[in-house]
Amino acid sequence: MAEACTACGACVQACPMTRFAPGVPEADPMQVAGGMRALLQGGEASAVSLGWIGACTRSAACNPACPEQLDVALMMRFASMRARGALGEAPGIAVKTDSGWSARVKGFARLGLTDQEQAEWL
Amino acid sequence: MAVTHHPLPAERAVFWYGCNLLRHGDVLRLTARFLEAVGVDAAPRGGPSHCCGSPTEHNARITEGMGRRTVAAFNATGREKVITWCPSCHMNMADLMVPETPAQFEAAHVTEVLWQRRAALQKLLVRPVQARVLLHRHAGFQPRVAVNDLVSNLLHLIPGLELVAEDEALPGHMCSALAGVPGALAAAHEANLAAMARHGADTLCTIFHSCHREAVALERGRAIRVMNWVHLLASAAGWEFRDEYKHLRNAEDPRAALDEAALGRIGADVFTQLMEPELRRKPVV
Ligand code: SF4
Repeated sequence: MAEACTACGACVQACPMTRFAPGVPEADPMQVAGGMRALLQGGEASAVSLGWIGACTRSAACNPACPEQLDVALMMRFASMRARGALGEAPGIAVKTDSGWSARVKGFARLGLTDQEQAEWL
Repeated sequence: MAVTHHPLPAERAVFWYGCNLLRHGDVLRLTARFLEAVGVDAAPRGGPSHCCGSPTEHNARITEGMGRRTVAAFNATGREKVITWCPSCHMNMADLMVPETPAQFEAAHVTEVLWQRRAALQKLLVRPVQARVLLHRHAGFQPRVAVNDLVSNLLHLIPGLELVAEDEALPGHMCSALAGVPGALAAAHEANLAAMARHGADTLCTIFHSCHREAVALERGRAIRVMNWVHLLASAAGWEFRDEYKHLRNAEDPRAALDEAALGRIGADVFTQLMEPELRRKPVV
């Protein structure tokens, strides 16, 4: 998909989250999108592009905007994973890990489910 | 709304409720009961042992391993369908999991299944529910599964319930995504509250668990109520439930609001260290 991306910036312009990404509303959309494409191709992204990728909440407003009809939301997803170091690179976006997540949801399960439901459903 | 009068045959499925719906045992149980009542033998499966890999996306190897384990577990059940609840699980299944591990089942969202079986569902919804409802919509999952329309349709089956006409959808696929972006969740809540005031709505109806988790605190100091769509269906069916998460989240002191038996089941350390900080979080608006 990244090969077909022309870094036209239409996805950036359609994105409802840019107002929450510092620097993005003032930046050139083509350069912001170019960072996403670069990440997918194994390269690096500017801080502003990383800010945009970090603010992606999977609205999918980018998909109908793309003139190449790419699944931009999925590209953003992969770019986000890559920016968080999913393939072993140094993360460009801070990774928020929650070591208590599993024990926490199991605690809530003990609150809301019977022993039998937990035994059968978990 | 036209309702088909041809009941669909019974089917065997897995109800994959995800991980974080475990915070809302009432919603999980009611959904399983509705599936059974409309003719789906749906075995609930979820929790960390059936994870879609979302919490580990910073490590592709772990994400892939979790996805593979979950698809293999579903294949091993021999059930022909996996019914999803969580939009993140649903999209991960299609985008990441099945491309790695071929599935021997089809996936469908729970709202699709209930709507397909609306003839049986509507027979259960006999009690009027007096509520003027704003639906809490997100834009992100709608292109995959038209969940905003499906839940609207399901709510229209409830006698007495008025759904206000509001097509505005929040960004993101659910509120847990917005919560990670400074300012975004507060903006979403403010948009919902403004829309409720504009339409004179008294009830905010959440679709997803993470939205419910974030929105229940909006009840504090406001003459509104926050309910999940499953709660509203259950009210119309006359089924008893208690929204325990909302009860604790909106309690002045969640620890004092929890009965001793529940604390004993959970474990005092788990409650204090892992659950209480979340329940005591200051509302964002
Ligand atoms: S709209 Fe499509 S082609 Fe243009 S930058 Fe975005 S992904 Fe690339």
